[in-house]
Amino acid sequence: MTMTSAVVTEGLTKRYGRRTALSDCTLDIPAGHVVGLVGPNGAGKSTLLQMICGLLQPTAGRLTVLGGDPISGSPRIGFVAQDTPVYAGLTVEDHLRLGAHLNPSWDDELAHHRLEGLDFDPRQKAGKLSGGQRAQLALTVAVAKRPDLLLLDEPVAALDPLARREFLQGLMEYVAESGTSVVMSSHLVADLERVCDYLIVLVKSRVRVTGEVEELLASHHLITGARIDPAKLGPGRQVIQARHTDVQSTLVVRSTAPIEDPAFSVDGIDLEDLVLAYMTEAAESGRDRVLEKQR
Amino acid sequence: MIWLTWRQFRTQALIGAAVTVAVAAVFLATRGSLLALARDMGYTGCTADCDKLAQQFARQAQSQIYGRLLFNGDALLFLLPALIGLFWGAPLVARELETGTHRLVWNQTVSRGRWLAVKLGAIGLATVAVAGLLSWAITAWASPLDKANGWIVPETFTARGVVPIGYAAFAFMAGVTIGMLMRRTVPAMAVTLVVVAAAMALSIVVLRPHLVAQSTYTGALTADKVGGISLSINDPARRIRVEASAPVNNAWVLSNDVVTAAGAPWAGPYDPAKCGPQAPSGPQSCEQWIASQNLKQKVIYLGPEKFWPLQWRELGVFLVVSALLAAFCFWWIRRRVA
Repeated sequence: MTMTSAVVTEGLTKRYGRRTALSDCTLDIPAGHVVGLVGPNGAGKSTLLQMICGLLQPTAGRLTVLGGDPISGSPRIGFVAQDTPVYAGLTVEDHLRLGAHLNPSWDDELAHHRLEGLDFDPRQKAGKLSGGQRAQLALTVAVAKRPDLLLLDEPVAALDPLARREFLQGLMEYVAESGTSVVMSSHLVADLERVCDYLIVLVKSRVRVTGEVEELLASHHLITGARIDPAKLGPGRQVIQARHTDVQSTLVVRSTAPIEDPAFSVDGIDLEDLVLAYMTEAAESGRDRVLEKQR
Repeated sequence: MIWLTWRQFRTQALIGAAVTVAVAAVFLATRGSLLALARDMGYTGCTADCDKLAQQFARQAQSQIYGRLLFNGDALLFLLPALIGLFWGAPLVARELETGTHRLVWNQTVSRGRWLAVKLGAIGLATVAVAGLLSWAITAWASPLDKANGWIVPETFTARGVVPIGYAAFAFMAGVTIGMLMRRTVPAMAVTLVVVAAAMALSIVVLRPHLVAQSTYTGALTADKVGGISLSINDPARRIRVEASAPVNNAWVLSNDVVTAAGAPWAGPYDPAKCGPQAPSGPQSCEQWIASQNLKQKVIYLGPEKFWPLQWRELGVFLVVSALLAAFCFWWIRRRVA
């Protein structure tokens, strides 16, 4: 399978003095997907995204973005930073003019069309916007630049469920229309589930699992039954997580072949449980921080 | 980028422009009547007794509205660098870092270097324009008074000519640099205030006297030059301090010492029969006695003719330091800030 890469990293490391934000991270983010980058707080997601858009410089390792070195101020990358910063003293319209003045590739029609659809008052100061509106404004400025790669750092983390849905819907509409590659980080799997078709689980700088969402869902199974010995599952079956009580075992198993054994009940698994299984495993194998199951 | 700079800076720019225009207008409007006063008092175009006329004119002007204007103009030019550093310099980068908006603006199609270059260029130019115009208006206005009072003494020199431009440019760059390093606006403003005040004080006290060649006057200490005598009758060492009046008008006197013929500092001992409460004819006998001691007066000073060389050199020093700070900012913003 050939796949062009939006981002390739090799041994990518970022240290701030003694603190290591990302250590030895090697991953390949394919182009043409909406990629969900999921991991617990402190996994290095923000650091990784900021290195991709050129805001931060790596301490060590290699990083290739859209086939070249990352540079800040690139016309090809759109970035919506964490907490979706906007200029509080500038109006909504000012932000669009800012985008138009600073980006040769600016699509003014797209920008105005998006904001009209959202019922914004263009003369409103950005500091008076609600969190959801602010995020929409930041997204509008990022997409009207017409980037080849759109990076979103926890864009909906601070939003209420309704604003969250509207934001993700707007993002989906844009992606469907433009076909832009997107990388969106979150520690909430439920948000990614709605929009992402590709998933990367990052825990403590390590990629725990990566792949297309459909493939991941098809190849992971939730097996329950009376005391199963994981070793007896057979070849080609990888146990991701195992939980045992006195009478029953629950396993998350990765297997491309279907599991047919009358001794167990085999179910599909939802994305959130799948991600949690990998994170729990990572937490138990190292002493990593555990992701709380948040909804 | 120019549009964004203007949009973000326009409130401060308008305040700065309004203050500058208002202050310049006040000084230019009262300049005529100050010149008329100098003319009416016979100081302008005087041919004899000019020193006395100058003093009379200065005293008369100080007692009128001009005294207050002069004080306020000097105060404004002393404070201007700090104000610019605080309100134009310190928030420039710090506020972006504090609110995270640097992540918005540096992800438009504009490099950090260009972003900083336009900001520093535009607001730096505004700084130079405001400081230059205010200093020009006040220097022009005060010229008759300065001619009478002397323009090289620190309290006048610092608020005249081109040095206010240097202080303002330095204060702006110091504010930007400190804000960039501290990443928080209010603490950066506090530190900027301290740094700017310290830099100006250091420049006046330590740097300025050495920027041009100092003049030295050595002459016999005659009785008419003794300006003041202080001594203590209980002092067993019978030390005496003599203050001699300066031999040059309107100079900045750096030191004024009484020395022996060999050049060593002299501080007595005094003769109690001639000086002090037992002396028969008051201070006159002491002055006569001092004059008979074969002493010399040694004065180190900067004369009024050193005004412009000193102005340009001090401006140069502050502009060079500002340029170094700017270079550091460009280096730092590319490497260390995010």
